[in-house]
Amino acid sequence: MATETAQQSVPPDVSEHLKTEDRAGLLRAMLMMRGIEERAMTLYRQGKVPGSFYDGYGQEAVSAGATWAMGSRDRLCVLHRDLAAHIIRGVPPARIFAQYMGRSGGVTGGREGNVHFGDRELGCVGMVSMLPDMMLVAAGIAMAFKLRGEQRVAMTWFGDGSTSRGDFHEAMNWAGVQKLPVIFVLENNQYAYSTPVNQQFAVNPVERAAAYGFPGETVDGNDPEAMFEATRKARERALAGDGPTLIEAVTMRMHGHAAHDDMKYVPKEQVEEWRAKDPIDRQVRRVEALGVDVQAMRDEVKAEIEAGVQEALAMPMPDPDSATHQLFADEPALLEDGEAPWSGFARGDAGDEGRTPEAGKA
Amino acid sequence: MPQMGVSVAEGTVVEWRKQPGDWIEADEIIAAISTDKIDTDVEAPATGRVQELIVDVGETVEVGTVLARIATDARPGEAHVSEGQSSAGGTSEAAAAMESSGEAGELKGDTTVREEKAPARGPRRYSPVVMRIAAEHDVDLEQVEGTGRGGRVRKQDVLAYIEQGGGEEPPMHIESPYRPDEPAAAKTRKPHFDAPAAEPGPAPEPAPAAAGSAPLSRMRQAIGARMLQSLQTAATCTTIVEADLIRIEAARATSGFTYLPYIARATVEVLREYPALNATLQDDTVTTYDGVHLGIAVSLGEGGLIVPVIRDAQELSVEGLAKRIKDLAQRARGNALTPDEVRGGSFTITNPGSAGSIMATPVINQPQVAILDTEAVVKRPVVITDELGNDSIAIRPMTYLCMSWDHRALDGVAAAQFLNALRKKLESWPTS
Amino acid sequence: MTYLQAISDAMREEMRADERVFVMGEDIGTFGGAFKVTDGFIDEFGPLRVMDTPLAESGIVGTAIGAAVEGMRPIAEMQFSDFISCGFDQLVNVAGKMYYRQGLSVNITVRLPSGGGFSGGPFHSQNPEAWFMHSPGLKVVAPSTAEDAKGLLISAVRDPNPVVYMEHKHLYRRVKGDVDGGTYETPFTARLAREGEDLVVITYGAMVHTALEATEDLDGASVEVLDLRSLVPLDEEAILASVRKCSKVVIVDEANQTCAAGAQVAALIAERGWEDLDGPVVRVATPDVPIPFSPPLEQAVLPQVDDVREACRELLEY
Repeated sequence: MATETAQQSVPPDVSEHLKTEDRAGLLRAMLMMRGIEERAMTLYRQGKVPGSFYDGYGQEAVSAGATWAMGSRDRLCVLHRDLAAHIIRGVPPARIFAQYMGRSGGVTGGREGNVHFGDRELGCVGMVSMLPDMMLVAAGIAMAFKLRGEQRVAMTWFGDGSTSRGDFHEAMNWAGVQKLPVIFVLENNQYAYSTPVNQQFAVNPVERAAAYGFPGETVDGNDPEAMFEATRKARERALAGDGPTLIEAVTMRMHGHAAHDDMKYVPKEQVEEWRAKDPIDRQVRRVEALGVDVQAMRDEVKAEIEAGVQEALAMPMPDPDSATHQLFADEPALLEDGEAPWSGFARGDAGDEGRTPEAGKA
Repeated sequence: MPQMGVSVAEGTVVEWRKQPGDWIEADEIIAAISTDKIDTDVEAPATGRVQELIVDVGETVEVGTVLARIATDARPGEAHVSEGQSSAGGTSEAAAAMESSGEAGELKGDTTVREEKAPARGPRRYSPVVMRIAAEHDVDLEQVEGTGRGGRVRKQDVLAYIEQGGGEEPPMHIESPYRPDEPAAAKTRKPHFDAPAAEPGPAPEPAPAAAGSAPLSRMRQAIGARMLQSLQTAATCTTIVEADLIRIEAARATSGFTYLPYIARATVEVLREYPALNATLQDDTVTTYDGVHLGIAVSLGEGGLIVPVIRDAQELSVEGLAKRIKDLAQRARGNALTPDEVRGGSFTITNPGSAGSIMATPVINQPQVAILDTEAVVKRPVVITDELGNDSIAIRPMTYLCMSWDHRALDGVAAAQFLNALRKKLESWPTS
Repeated sequence: MTYLQAISDAMREEMRADERVFVMGEDIGTFGGAFKVTDGFIDEFGPLRVMDTPLAESGIVGTAIGAAVEGMRPIAEMQFSDFISCGFDQLVNVAGKMYYRQGLSVNITVRLPSGGGFSGGPFHSQNPEAWFMHSPGLKVVAPSTAEDAKGLLISAVRDPNPVVYMEHKHLYRRVKGDVDGGTYETPFTARLAREGEDLVVITYGAMVHTALEATEDLDGASVEVLDLRSLVPLDEEAILASVRKCSKVVIVDEANQTCAAGAQVAALIAERGWEDLDGPVVRVATPDVPIPFSPPLEQAVLPQVDDVREACRELLEY
């Protein structure tokens, strides 16, 4: 099933809602994600990144494609292999590197590590390690939209292992009962740490969606355009008041669970099979066919990353005295709007843009 | 075991002068002790019946160790408390039995004398708030009666103690940190016989063993401050000579006076010959006087001590001096002295010897430069040499003339010469 | 007005005044709640703002968090405080740490009907407040009077942080008091339930009433009763002031003794009130066992008036 879904070597266009600039933008986001994570791994080996390090190598299309479909006023609860979501919403590389290195200029100012972050000013909520807790938070965000009658959508990602926990059920059920405008992206990368999916569930979770009263769709998670199109449609459903959608993004975790994990438990053939389906290679071919200078894009991305590294390295470490500060908020500090680069929003054919009830910026 | 100087950590009982069951007066010698600094006597801190000797002769114990217990509710002539009561073993029953027999004084030495209602109890422990309040108000917690469980001192106890004035005045033990590390200073605390509190001695008085607690009177505070100031100001030395008073005794036989007017008269005469001692020293300036303005320390009993001054004492005879001394003493005890009568002295005589002490080191009455202490007259066998040079042993009324003087103003030779001149004057007193 | 009515009144007034406020929980809408705290609410505010939820405590807390970060002010009801264990992860890991981790404030109020004394048994009688005192980023309040029940709840709803609101079931209809109309806030500070000088009983919630009754006539002793009202933040200065004044302290917890709120109070006094103490800090609390069902067993473990009285008497005599 999952491993058989993505095998186009010459990728056709999947979505008629994408223009060349969107396709190039998706590629750029994925190149940025991979470049940042590779560079961060170097920094990790150099001892500049404390703790452990997690990446989303090979899964770039899942977050890039899904995020590309989301509006500025939509809200995202982002998983740790979804760096492209942060990139698309507008987090600059320097802040990401500083985040990895625990520096004061990082998104969490050193209070959180690796990809455990969300820039609230860009409409993102950082994950917690207890997956899939954010499914409920995303449902709650969608609940607020519904309570206020707003045309907005919440989305969250979670992994195949997350489907075993109670919060998966509680969130799916809750969202189904209340027909909430929420998109659940099941990022099926075949392994939860070392546990393969056949030890995680007996029935593919995408089939469970029907049991909760809403559709589930399996998507090629290594094709950003397929991810975009599935998400776009799910968003349309949500905005139409038809409730949630479960998208199963089938992909492969090409690296270990974290930097320490040599992934011996994964058959080499499986890795090789998925290497041939690399999402970036696929999008490069697509974009090059459209006449985009990909090498120039690569150079530009590389230069931007390197500048970000240098900027981050120049940032101070946090003041130890601040470790006990800001446990409680004195004033409300809520989610704000992020970047939404899809050309469809500019064209006005993408749902709620332009309809901006005052609530949500409370 | 008294603290005989700050560096002394232990002492040995050399002799018990009293045994269980014996009656003892406060300040009467109860034991002789030996430390690495001095061998000395220890006086009883309270009047009563010796109940228990805790430390055996020859035993060496730490400073602060209880040496003996005195039952202060006993009365002379009555049978002493039972053995069972005196060996209270630490149970509450024993404590109750002890209480029923009255409060007991514990003899621990002059800085650590303490009374305990329940002598068998371990050392008292205090709660943090009690200790803090005590520190803030200079309260000696040993003086505070506890009303809590097992006699525990509670916060309200120490607050009540302060409210009744207990804590506002310096506790009696406050002097101990200032005590010079000299054995003599700590040891020759003067018994005050006719006037227990009248002696301006250098050592602090132990709390009467079973008397409970009371704030220091204003006068005691003033005396304490003056004595302390004197010791801190003067370079105090004490010189002693022995005098044979057989001629004075003969003179007294007809006059009926005490020794004091004779000694006063002799002192005045000798001071005229040694003006360096009839002097005051203030701000590096020594002032000598033509006339002798003689201070006489008068005990006011528990009220303290006052030193009225006989101006131009050289103009008075023995009879005149006797009359003036009697008059001043009476008026002092009646609070009838005028301010002018208690200042301007140039030399002072203190006379606690009538209570039986034989030697002391008085504290100089500032700003004077010397003070003469007259002690008890005691019959002693002495060697007498006649005009032909023949020696014989005779029984004579002997006394020690002890004089403290300020080494800043004079030297030891001058002091010794003065005292020898005084001795000769007394020993050659004309017989009528 | 009863304690229970004061809680209802607080929510009703806040919902009228602020459209961001809504209530959610199991059986709270049509049924009006297991304790009828939201009785009639659905008629006034409709089913969206008086939300009957699935039977899912993690879901209740988690979706409340989501609504809050989007600007709503949900009041989530646990049917019994015991059930919060099912929502523990969302409350402790998501809500409690959100602002510290990423500067995103979580304005939720979680109402926990707590406490025993009526044969509720091991799963309807707990006092789990200490779990949340130990979890950074959560505020914990526990009113003992009707007036405070209303004011503290309104303060909780308006506080931009997650607030765990402990409402004691035993007080619902037993405690009455004058309560102001409209809305008012009660600060998260302690309250002197009774002034005294000889000894202070420090407690909160239902035990405030136990303490007041136990010390009303204690051989003429002047006994202070300090109602903490707020456990996080803990009003340390009020505690230390009482200790300074009284010097003898009895701390009463209805919760299980180990690491209870009172343990923190005792630790605070040991650290910062040491020199004011005139005796050991005495604690009266429920032993570390589940709350049993049968009345004699339950009364044996929950602190009773006589337990507190004896503890005070012993300490006074110390």
